[in-house]
Amino acid sequence: MSHSPIVIAGYAEIPVKFRSGRSAYEYAGQVFDQLLSRTAIPKELIDGLSVSSSLSEGSNPFLAGYMAEALGLQCHWLNLSALGGASSLAGVAAAGAAIQAGRTRLAAVISADAPSTKWGSNYGAYRAEFQAPNGVMGPPAAFGLLMSRYAYQYGDPTEALAKIAVTQRRHALLNENTCDKLRKPISREDYLASRFVAKPLRLLDSVMFCDGANALLVTTEDYARSIGLEKFVRITGYAECSNPNPGDPLLPLTESGFLQLAPRLFEQSGLSPGKIHQLQAYDDFTIAILMQLEHLGFCETGAGAKFVLETDISFSGSLPINTGGGQLSVGQPGLASGGLNLVEAVRQLFGEGGERQVRRAQNALVTGIGMIPYGRSWIISAAMTLEA
Amino acid sequence: MVAAAKHPAENATRDYIDSTEFWRGISRSALMLQYCPVAKAFQHYPRPVSIYTGRRTLEWREASSTGTVYTITEGMIGSAAAGSEQRDVVIALVELDVGVRLLATVDVPASREVQIGDRGRVVFFEHPEGYIYYRFRIDA
Repeated sequence: MSHSPIVIAGYAEIPVKFRSGRSAYEYAGQVFDQLLSRTAIPKELIDGLSVSSSLSEGSNPFLAGYMAEALGLQCHWLNLSALGGASSLAGVAAAGAAIQAGRTRLAAVISADAPSTKWGSNYGAYRAEFQAPNGVMGPPAAFGLLMSRYAYQYGDPTEALAKIAVTQRRHALLNENTCDKLRKPISREDYLASRFVAKPLRLLDSVMFCDGANALLVTTEDYARSIGLEKFVRITGYAECSNPNPGDPLLPLTESGFLQLAPRLFEQSGLSPGKIHQLQAYDDFTIAILMQLEHLGFCETGAGAKFVLETDISFSGSLPINTGGGQLSVGQPGLASGGLNLVEAVRQLFGEGGERQVRRAQNALVTGIGMIPYGRSWIISAAMTLEA
Repeated sequence: MVAAAKHPAENATRDYIDSTEFWRGISRSALMLQYCPVAKAFQHYPRPVSIYTGRRTLEWREASSTGTVYTITEGMIGSAAAGSEQRDVVIALVELDVGVRLLATVDVPASREVQIGDRGRVVFFEHPEGYIYYRFRIDA
């Protein structure tokens, strides 16, 4: 049992590409090579592995085992983290718990996916009978429904969503890992002119499936120092809430599990929304950011648009949001997307943000979202606080 | 053109839970939903247990088909590449008066646009994929 703080002591990320023609295994190999190179540790020291589930390899229930084999790792702790866009966060949290329990000392959390090259998932369940025949084939229609209801309850958030889209694209242009297809500036007018995918949801409210990978190294502060890893960030809080209020079939669509996890998260870390230096918020759609701001307590319920319009959310602002461009503007590497903003948080806390380095880099709040259900916002909510 | 139909409940008992009663209802223009007699409440979509008790305290009952539009979206569905007809649809999440939400395409009135709060009822129709299904018709 270890009492040394759990830390993230290394990261790696491969540039996001659209239809790369490469597999999740190829991407995992690339990002693992980069992780070893950046941290200068021999692979034999890594004795734990968490693999995020993958859309392109979704038909393989043994993905974690195949990945350990592919990467040549002997693992005393092996985990398949399958919480959708929260998989990376949950993988890091699970690695931390496994380390505290003495099952592993140094764990890699690897997320690699290539859904724009190959689709290998079938969600099954009730979708074929009760969802798809109604035209709800995927997330855009579900988020179109969510946006309509949000606007009905709280007023039209279009200007705030435009600001989020434009700001994140500006950030993405400073990120060398941004997908080539998205490497062009957009204006408010571009946002407003972008076509409706599921009205009122626009194309520029939405992510684009791409291919990519990211990796993180989790250990204790003491062990990191003992193997020469001098840069690390402490994990000071982690909380999840999946399927909130399951006995309420009329739960407001504008609610999420973040409402329930926020008090637990901030109690663990001793932080509060006003003390957060950067928010790396899961951003499959722009409206999700407004709702997370509200549910995590950055502003009152329904005041997300006002908050965004009155706050400088750029990397140099008072509350930098998604400073790497987020998946909206970097590209969504399938279920590796949850690691995209997590890696950006660690990069910023390491002081390696380059041209987009945030001014205050003592802490970060990172979130993850997973699974679009029937008539609710999203099933899985997860959030983590990191401190330098 | 209607593509070769694959009924959504083709594997109704094998792919998910046994929804035979729902589809029997559809075939006679009745909305059969799961009902928990302990909680005295409906639930939809179907589940293997009651969301209220966690137990299999479930039966199928015919539910009133009236309700209110809770939210809407509009978009193009279908895929020429996949061999299905492309069409514009209005999709609603409806709050049925029996206390559950139902996803449905909307039978749009000719005279005006659909709005949140509109009242209507579930009706049955031949889905473009070639089977009987339900949608929500706004009251005139």
